Amino acid sequence: MRLEIESIDIKSVREGGRTGVKDGVLTVNFTELETLLTEDSRIASVKIDLVHPGERTRVVNLMDVVQPRCKIGQLEADFPGFVGKLQIAGKGRTLSLRGVTVLATNPGTTRKYSALLDMYGPGGQMSRYSKFSHVCVNSYSAEDIDEREFENAAKIAGLKAAAYIARSAEGHQIDETEVFDLDITNLDGKSDLPKVAYYYQLYSPQHDHQGISDDCFYGTDVRPLMPTIIHPNEVLDGGVVGAHTVRSIDTYTIQNHGVIRELYRRHGKDLIFSGVVCGVAKMEPITRTRKNIMAANLVKNVLGADGVVLTKIHGGMPHVDLAGVAEECEKLGVKTAVYIQPLISDGRLPEMLLFSAEALDLIITVGATLERSILPAPDRIVGGDKKTKVYCPDPIMQYAGDTTIDVEQFLIAGIHDHTGGAKVVVKEY
Amino acid sequence: MNNTKLKVVHYLNQFFGQIGGEDKANTGFVVKEGPLGPGTALQKELGEHVEIVATLICGDNYFSKDPDQAGEEGAKLIESFAPDLFFAGPAFEAGRYGVACGAICKAVNERLGIPVVTGMYQENPGVEMYRKYAYICRSGQSTRDMVPSLKKMSKLALQLVLGEPSKNLLSGENLPKPEMFDYFKRLIIRNEFCDQSAAKRSIDKLLAKITGKPFESEVVPPVFDNVEPPAPIADLSKLQLALVSDGALVPKGNPAGLAGRGNLKWTTNELDSFLPDDPGTKEYEIAHTGYFPVNVLENPFRLIPVDVIRQLVKEKKIGKLHNTFFSTSGNATVSRRCTEMGNEMGEEIKRLGIDAVLLTST
Repeated sequence: MRLEIESIDIKSVREGGRTGVKDGVLTVNFTELETLLTEDSRIASVKIDLVHPGERTRVVNLMDVVQPRCKIGQLEADFPGFVGKLQIAGKGRTLSLRGVTVLATNPGTTRKYSALLDMYGPGGQMSRYSKFSHVCVNSYSAEDIDEREFENAAKIAGLKAAAYIARSAEGHQIDETEVFDLDITNLDGKSDLPKVAYYYQLYSPQHDHQGISDDCFYGTDVRPLMPTIIHPNEVLDGGVVGAHTVRSIDTYTIQNHGVIRELYRRHGKDLIFSGVVCGVAKMEPITRTRKNIMAANLVKNVLGADGVVLTKIHGGMPHVDLAGVAEECEKLGVKTAVYIQPLISDGRLPEMLLFSAEALDLIITVGATLERSILPAPDRIVGGDKKTKVYCPDPIMQYAGDTTIDVEQFLIAGIHDHTGGAKVVVKEY
Repeated sequence: MNNTKLKVVHYLNQFFGQIGGEDKANTGFVVKEGPLGPGTALQKELGEHVEIVATLICGDNYFSKDPDQAGEEGAKLIESFAPDLFFAGPAFEAGRYGVACGAICKAVNERLGIPVVTGMYQENPGVEMYRKYAYICRSGQSTRDMVPSLKKMSKLALQLVLGEPSKNLLSGENLPKPEMFDYFKRLIIRNEFCDQSAAKRSIDKLLAKITGKPFESEVVPPVFDNVEPPAPIADLSKLQLALVSDGALVPKGNPAGLAGRGNLKWTTNELDSFLPDDPGTKEYEIAHTGYFPVNVLENPFRLIPVDVIRQLVKEKKIGKLHNTFFSTSGNATVSRRCTEMGNEMGEEIKRLGIDAVLLTST
């Protein structure tokens, strides 16, 4: 399966009469984009805001961050199952804009946790997104639409906007083309290089708002999913999207998946990338055991891997769940590298482990995502207003316009990356 | 830098403070102006922009009678000097002196909010007791290591008061690297920016592991205690039972302020008033943010089986349900604090004459 991602570097974004890219400048016709997005009857109205690097702007009620991308020469193939028609993602040509994202917000949310993005101050210094320009899509619900149903619409609005913007750049000069070509059926069996697979914990239901799934895989609920093999290009090319209002993985992060890109980069050099098994964290012990043994079996006996990197979804339960898969892999003789996320900033690193398994002796700290940051007030708020509640685990109420807010980093988009892409490590002091 | 010198106060015990040996260990606090004993060498290390304005001295026995109170007393005595920085010791291997250095540092830091630096040998009990509250440089066992210890303490202190914050820390704090400044880690976990993504690090290390080469895990797995379950209780009809839960069921408004995640506190509530037979008044809430509280909010007896136990008491199968309900929020709390809370609760449970507890979780 061969995927070519053709990237255009965007220098700045502005509003204008015709949506398109000229000399690296993206122009967006707001009315046209709003009209496109309100075709979805679940959305009453959409407000577009542009956010630029260097501004003292805070974006709140953030649901997702999306890199503008579209398929070239394939019909209705963008984000299949969400925007495009159902088909397998990950082959052919994809046009991608760099230095710009689409931010999807839900200003009317009742969620306790929504992400935020500061373009300034300490929040901005930590987030890779503060260097980018953003087209912010704020969606407002039509009457009598269930909240979760509307959230799906608002998330899809972000994906649609991303495809619309990328498509407007067709014909512009390409700055870089990257090829992702992995022929898993004909991997070089004679190679002496170690075969490394990737176990992708795709989802965890414990974050489900109102207990309802947040679809992230070809448009569907993955909670009942059995471990399954997918091609890594499906992940990079829109088959998987963000869920659960960022929490260290948004669509942009998945489109630029850390471990998958790194395995690709090294494929044929110091390892053979033998494929991806994805699975979902399970809440119940028997289901979990079934998933653990099936996933390990696919890694060992179907992909034939010597080693596997395992990444997780945010939180404690996925941490326990991931260790279960890793233990089963080790039992079958597959060496593991397990990602963890310390859940507290007080103590020693070994105390952060939620499992006790001797075989799991290679543990990677993907970021202490619950580390707290104090953020100063913005001049401008997008996606809400100064009375928008901002979550804090302490029993205090705080709002987006307060002089300072106390925020855990997993709620600040663009700092941590559970797919391993961020250059962050956790240390004891 | 302007011409105002940074002011330092230095703490010593009766021996290093030149009052006397063990026979003077009961001496109370004394304040002397300027540096004294090891302070003279420390002053040299600190250089001309920093001045030891006073030395605080106390006998080891006097201090160790009640370290918390002695710390308070000492901290009050030096307040008027308005120091920018505080040193204690180094205490080397001396246990009472180490505890005193740790306690005085803790009290001064809490009262005056200034950096506090001391030095100890790794086995000094003061290290474990006070590493969270003070920068404790690693020192040798005895005074032979005085000058190298003072050098370390001085270098670290100057970094704390005059140094630039680390560019690597996401928090932007001025938190010196323990390895670089040779102090005992303070049980703080921090994110650092680094040169390599987690993806690259994990694959490098995994390849080493596959090929049998040495690799370094970013976390060394702990060895957990194995807790043997106690023997079953033969006769419940005579005993007093209490309920304990980490599901964070608390009175409305969460008066004890349990955190939803990373909580470090526990609280007690009286079942009679908090959860009467029909808790329909809904005067409770769930502070925990790690599970769907819907079912427990509908009926709190799903978390703690008060109704069933009350029935069993009526049927005389259980002696008595103790009125105290122990509640904490068990969501991503560090295991060390869980152990501490367990011990604290255990003491209270013993004090109340409770014979058995039923622990329910989520």
